[in-house]
Amino acid sequence: MTVHALWVISKAGGLVFSRSYSDALPPLPVNTILTLAGILHGIHAITAKLTPSPIPGQPVGGLESFEAEGWGGKVFLTATGTKFVVLHSIPHPGLDDLLRRIYEIYSDAVMKNPFHTLEMPINSSLFETRLQTLVASVNV
Amino acid sequence: MTSYFTGASSSASPASASGATSSRFSLASSAVSSPPPSLYSSSQNPSSSTISNVPNPNRRESNRSSVIQPSSLQQQLFGGGGGGGAAPASGGGGGGTGGPVNILERPLNKTKGAEVGMGAWSFLLAEVVAYSQSRVDSVHDLEARLSSLGYEAGQRILTLLLLRNTQTAGGKDPRREHRLIPILQFVHTQVYKYCFGKPADGLERSVEEENEYMITLNQPPLTQHISVPKDMSQLSCEAFTAGIVEGVLDGLDVPARVTAHTVGTDQYPQRTVILIKLDQKVMDREEALGK
Repeated sequence: MTVHALWVISKAGGLVFSRSYSDALPPLPVNTILTLAGILHGIHAITAKLTPSPIPGQPVGGLESFEAEGWGGKVFLTATGTKFVVLHSIPHPGLDDLLRRIYEIYSDAVMKNPFHTLEMPINSSLFETRLQTLVASVNV
Repeated sequence: MTSYFTGASSSASPASASGATSSRFSLASSAVSSPPPSLYSSSQNPSSSTISNVPNPNRRESNRSSVIQPSSLQQQLFGGGGGGGAAPASGGGGGGTGGPVNILERPLNKTKGAEVGMGAWSFLLAEVVAYSQSRVDSVHDLEARLSSLGYEAGQRILTLLLLRNTQTAGGKDPRREHRLIPILQFVHTQVYKYCFGKPADGLERSVEEENEYMITLNQPPLTQHISVPKDMSQLSCEAFTAGIVEGVLDGLDVPARVTAHTVGTDQYPQRTVILIKLDQKVMDREEALGK
């Protein structure tokens, strides 16, 4: 499995972090990624609305993954509404585990950092280095 | 809140609460009047990975976790009556007559199960730093604020450690170090072990100045998740630790100016040096005692 990129989308739909981890992905301007992340947030909300017979009181999940020729995306929704989107190659063994690890790093390096403001772009060198180490161990 | 009500009775909304008289709802309404912890314990499932990955150091808590949800911090701290049916804490000291032991009434010399979870501490320190930062103008003032907080902690830690050492020795031969090197070694091993679970990684004297000593810690656990923004690069949140050291030294009558500096190496990017600059009075006394 190759991880192409990681986006973190805040619960308001704004892109707070995006990093590309492979050369295979064509470089995109930041504004384009911002727009794409916003659209993905909207699609997620629509799919959540479309859920047939939602259980009352239970949070409804929306879009979880999408696939295309040779690559796909996985959306991980946290309990607080933050979304992690991983663009990856197919097949993808251990992707769920990877997302949990990313969430763990996020909650450690971002949420426990006093210099981070909620819903604002992530500006933590610790977060980036830890992600880099994690992704480097997955990418072959 | 809404999910809580719908969990109790799917048709009952808070507005139409008076109409619904199912037995589950009456349970819910009585819980609303009791302290907040029960609100969290019913349906919310804390799925944060940090909570599950932190090893639970509090054995007492794990004994009780079958009765009380871990989220009810208030109950753990103050033995709140809201939950009802709380099991008596194991090994509780004097005050416990059936109920859980108040944190202030736990025996002082009991160290087992008295550790604080790393996650909880990280969030607390992050909030302390953010709070302090909103009240200062410069990096230097921020460090001074953190240091003064650590100083308060250090004074208490010293008292506690000396008491425990005396009690371990059976009350006989209570000792207090008075020479400089044993005092620094006491800080290096005992104080650091108490605070961080392991002794510091190094204690050395500065080659340039005779009255400067350095205590190094390769991976400081307190600030392991903090990454300082570039425009404040000279800040080290380990100023809190420096404050602890200063408080302990001051309590042992070794006045010193203690500062923290992050001196990263390739292997340990967060390596921190606590620089102790001793007062001239201490050096004079050492010289007099040395004769």
